[in-house]
Order: sequence, then C-alpha cells, then structure tokens
Amino acid sequence: MDFNDVIAYTLRAGVLISAALLILGFVMLTFKGKAGYYSINEIASTASMVNSSYFNANTIITGMMTLNPVAIIFLGLVILIATPVLRVALGLAQFIKEKDYIYSIITAIVLFNLIFAIFILPSLIHT
Amino acid sequence: MIQPILYFLILIVVSALSGILGALVGLGGGTFLVPIYTLYLRIPIAYATGASLISTIATSSGAGSAYIKDKITNVKLGMGLEIATTGGSIVGALTVAFMYSHHLEYIIYIVFGLVLLSQVYIQLTRSKYELPKEMKPDWSTKLFKLYGSYYDVVLGKEVNYYGVRWWLGEIIMFFAGFISGLLGIGSGALKVLGMDWAMNLPMKVSTTTSNFMIGVTAATGSSIYWIYGYIQPFIAAGTAIGVLLGAYIGTKILVRITNRSIRYIFSVILVILGVQMVMRGLGYGF
Repeated sequence: MDFNDVIAYTLRAGVLISAALLILGFVMLTFKGKAGYYSINEIASTASMVNSSYFNANTIITGMMTLNPVAIIFLGLVILIATPVLRVALGLAQFIKEKDYIYSIITAIVLFNLIFAIFILPSLIHT
Repeated sequence: MIQPILYFLILIVVSALSGILGALVGLGGGTFLVPIYTLYLRIPIAYATGASLISTIATSSGAGSAYIKDKITNVKLGMGLEIATTGGSIVGALTVAFMYSHHLEYIIYIVFGLVLLSQVYIQLTRSKYELPKEMKPDWSTKLFKLYGSYYDVVLGKEVNYYGVRWWLGEIIMFFAGFISGLLGIGSGALKVLGMDWAMNLPMKVSTTTSNFMIGVTAATGSSIYWIYGYIQPFIAAGTAIGVLLGAYIGTKILVRITNRSIRYIFSVILVILGVQMVMRGLGYGF
C-alpha cells in the first residue's frame, strides 16, 4: 500500500464515519426526544440556541459518556473537519519521505495555518 | 413549528438538490444552498453559511478519494496554493464574525448576491477549450515544479502541461479563500479561475485540484465558524448528509446531460437567487 492508497482510504473513512455518526445522532435524537437539557424542538428549530459555541473537546467527550445525541452529531462534524487536516499531515510525511524540501516547507506552512485556526485562534478569541 | 423529522428531511432534500446542481456545473453545493436556506427556509444566515461550509468538506473528501486514483489532481500545485487559500479563509471567517457581531448581516446578503450574479458571467463565457494556449515557462514553473501530465479520456492521449505565474495564482487563491470564509462556500469557481486563467493549466487539472483544495480551505474556515457558534448541529447534520447524497447522484447523471443546456438552466437560477439575495440585503422582503 503506497501513500496515495493511504490518503484515499483516509478520505473515504473520514467521510463514512462522519456520515454514520451524523445519522446515528439524528436517529437517537428522535428516539430520546431530547439531548441533555434541550428538547428536540429546541434543537430542531431554525433559530435554535443550540450551536457549536457551547461544544468543545471536553463537552463532546463528556457528552459521549452519556450518549448525548447532539454530542454524537458534533463528533461526526469534528471528524469531518479533521479529515482534510489528516490529509495534509499525510502529504507532509510523503514529501519528507521523498526528500522534496520545498514542498515539505510549503505543506508545513499549510498545516500550520490549519492548526492556527483550530487550536491557537480559539484561545486568542476567548481571552 | 415544523416537525423535527420533517424538517430534517427537508434539509436533506434541499441540500441534495443543491449538491446535484453543484456537481452538474462543477461547483460545490453552497452556491445554491445558502440562498435557498436563508430566503425560503428562513434559516439565519450564520447557521446557513456554517452548515454550507462544513458540508463542502464532505463533498471534497468524498470526491477526493475517487480522484486520487486517476492522477489528474496535482497535489503539489494544490498544496502550494493552499498557503493562500487557508490564509484567506482565516481572514474571511474573522471578517464575517466581526460583521455578524455588529449586525451587518445585510452586507453579507448583498455580497453573496453579487457573487452569484458574477457566476453567471463566468458560466456563460467559460472557455470551450480543454487545453490552454502555449505560454513560456517562467521562474516559478521551475522553482515550484509546476509540471505534470495526465491521460485525457476525451482527447485519447497523454497530456503534458506546466503552470506559469505561481504568484498570480496565489493572489487569486487568497481572494478565493477570503470569499470561502466570508460566505461559507467552497468558492471552487474562483479557484478554477486562478489555475485555469492565471496559471494557464488545463481545465481538468484545475477542476480536480480545486476540489482537493476546497476541503482544506473549508476545514480552516469551519473551525473559526465553530468557535463563534455558527454551526448548528441539526442543520449541519442534515446538510452534510444531503450534500453527500446529492454529489453522489450528480456525478452519476453528469454524463447524460449536454453541457450547454445545464449552463442555461443554471444561469437562470443564479440570476433569480442573486437578485433576491441583493434585495434581501437592501431590506426588500423575501
């Protein structure tokens, strides 16, 4: 299996796992009729108060423990966002292995931009 | 108050239709999705763009896993240009966050409408030629190794190509990233323009590489949207599932419809939605 195969499988797995979690979250939400403190009607309205600003890594993990349907949906969305990040990381590994220095540097910059947006900016915004 | 299950099904159907339309004309679903969500389903624009942006990742990754085998996507080219698209996306997403927090939503409606209307021009004047005119390689061709080749099924031969004016491509890509972060769309048309027009690359290479880049650009913007709370789980889940379904169906019927008829239908829809978005921004109903 070469790098391109790994990348193709990563992308496919990311999309499939994410879609499965999104569907599972929705099905559980309709069966339970609520998620945490919120009723399904509060979650499913067009101008719902329930949104991503209340969910971070910690709340998603604790939500998973109690099988909170919204936490499951958010996990699916996190995996969706993580897939391209993983893809860039694999690309970086590939360029380093091929000793392609200019593209190793370029890919490292792209990865930095992603990490900056995902991990560094949130802490800057909240302080 | 719509029943939650019915609402979810509406979200899936609308975004699947947008995904099909998008796949037919080589754009992501977001171009149609955001106007339909805001104008007809009355979804707040922040939630509409949030759902749209995150689901373009699904389309990009889904198509990417299929494209990687055929070797048309030029990964080096895409990665190099992503420096600009991810940077632009960060600036665009922070700009829109500033606008929403200052109740300047109307500006986003107007800009979105204008972007839709400009797409009409791009659609109708898009070059009929698969391969670009000859241009001399420049310094960036060599430094960034902008060479490549692929097997063209239509032409029935191996096509060798190279890109020029990397710097001009980067400038356009920054703008494409900015628009993506600002409006929650993949802005694939702008990315194609950057490669096709600025860097003189063949259409097939531009479109597949653009698709590859959209996922990375959208992941950058989505994470900023996440912090500000523009991602509503119910809407985003329905949209992502719908867009994936639509993109899958779209690539299946793509072969059966002639290109010209699609472009005309598409242009009419774009004009209608574009005008409505501008009107909404200016405060006239809809």
